[in-house]
Amino acid sequence: MGFFVRFWGVRGSIPTPGPRTRRYGGNTSCIEMRSDSTVLIFDAGTGLRELGVSLMRNPPKEGLDLHLFLSHPHWDHIQGFPFFGPAYLKNTTLTVYGSEKNENYQLLSGQMSNAYFPVAFKDLSARIVPKAFVDDEVQAGDFVVKRFEQKHPGGSAGFRVEHGGNACVYATDSELDLMLIDPNGPAKAPRTLRRLPTPLVTPMKNADLLIADAQYTDEEYPAKVGWGHARANTVVDLAIQAGVKQLALTHHDPMQSDRDVDAKVLTASERARSIGAELDVFGAREGVTLRLDRG
Amino acid sequence: MAVKRTQTIDEEVPQTMMNRLPASFKPRPRRAHQLEQTAGPGSPCKHELSADALIIGRGSAADLRIDSDDVSRTHAQLLRIDDEYTIEDLDSRNGVFLNGLQVHAAVLRDGDQLQLGDVVFTYNEGS
Ligand SMILES: [Zn+2]
Ligand SMILES: [Zn+2]
Repeated sequence: MGFFVRFWGVRGSIPTPGPRTRRYGGNTSCIEMRSDSTVLIFDAGTGLRELGVSLMRNPPKEGLDLHLFLSHPHWDHIQGFPFFGPAYLKNTTLTVYGSEKNENYQLLSGQMSNAYFPVAFKDLSARIVPKAFVDDEVQAGDFVVKRFEQKHPGGSAGFRVEHGGNACVYATDSELDLMLIDPNGPAKAPRTLRRLPTPLVTPMKNADLLIADAQYTDEEYPAKVGWGHARANTVVDLAIQAGVKQLALTHHDPMQSDRDVDAKVLTASERARSIGAELDVFGAREGVTLRLDRG
Repeated sequence: MAVKRTQTIDEEVPQTMMNRLPASFKPRPRRAHQLEQTAGPGSPCKHELSADALIIGRGSAADLRIDSDDVSRTHAQLLRIDDEYTIEDLDSRNGVFLNGLQVHAAVLRDGDQLQLGDVVFTYNEGS
């Protein structure tokens, strides 16, 4: 029982510490999903370091058994890995999920090569095991994880995570506006629902929680076309089409202060309301844990 | 010919510019983190937080007792980790809401609003 989701890093592109970002947090992408017996980690941005500290506070006697999923190997999604304490413990088992070619495993070890970092990947004490998805699906402990492709420079994977009748979707680094059925829709009629193709909507169907890249506002986006990220209003429309219950906007732009993120969330909530959807929109914030399996 | 001694960088830079505190510096006394109750039975009132762990609830086991039927006997607990307080829902009937969002747990930040049943708190971060 139990399906908990905790945000450890919600910032996009580069860590953004400082007083302007203190409430939402400045660490880059890292999400923990856990049940009573399994710990899944999505992305290894700088938020991973603090997750590691927390895991090592009360480690189980038999050692940590962790499952790591990477959306893609851009810096802000892997940079925390060399600072992940449990990787240095002998009795940790860390399963790294990827394709048959194990590109994620290769890329994690690549960033630890000599010139970049003093410890080599092969010298990490943990048992690090690559594991492949089969037909875009894999069992990780008592969770089932399904993978889907997204539009992003170099590609990125989204994940639908299921456990005991609940579902959480993690869909970061996805430029939704390049996937729109009517690419000119937002410019012509910004208030009209922006329709997205079925293959993108289906993996999110009826999820309890969608955690989605919503880096930009409608105003910021036109200057960032092709950079690989979504604007919050289009994410709202995707969530509505998928019948999602709750939407967490994440991958906040480094330029956005806490107040800017507040304003982005407020605009997105108003959009959901104006379309008439019962969608609960909030801004992903470091240190917050949600429970999905409550009534 | 006598050699003129070159001034060192240390001598050129005034003390306060150095990466050390001036002798006159006195650290301010620390201010405790605080929960300020703004709605619900017993409000308004302020609770200074000093314990590493405390329970908020209606029951006699609670450290911060609130006489409201909307609050569970052991509703939530506050845990201090690295001098930051985290609130955690203890399977309460009406849940814990952080700035309007129902959460299982959250590290608190200055100005956060917490709602437990009909009870509302503002979290004032100390120093
Ligand atoms: Zn990113
Ligand atoms: Zn990226």
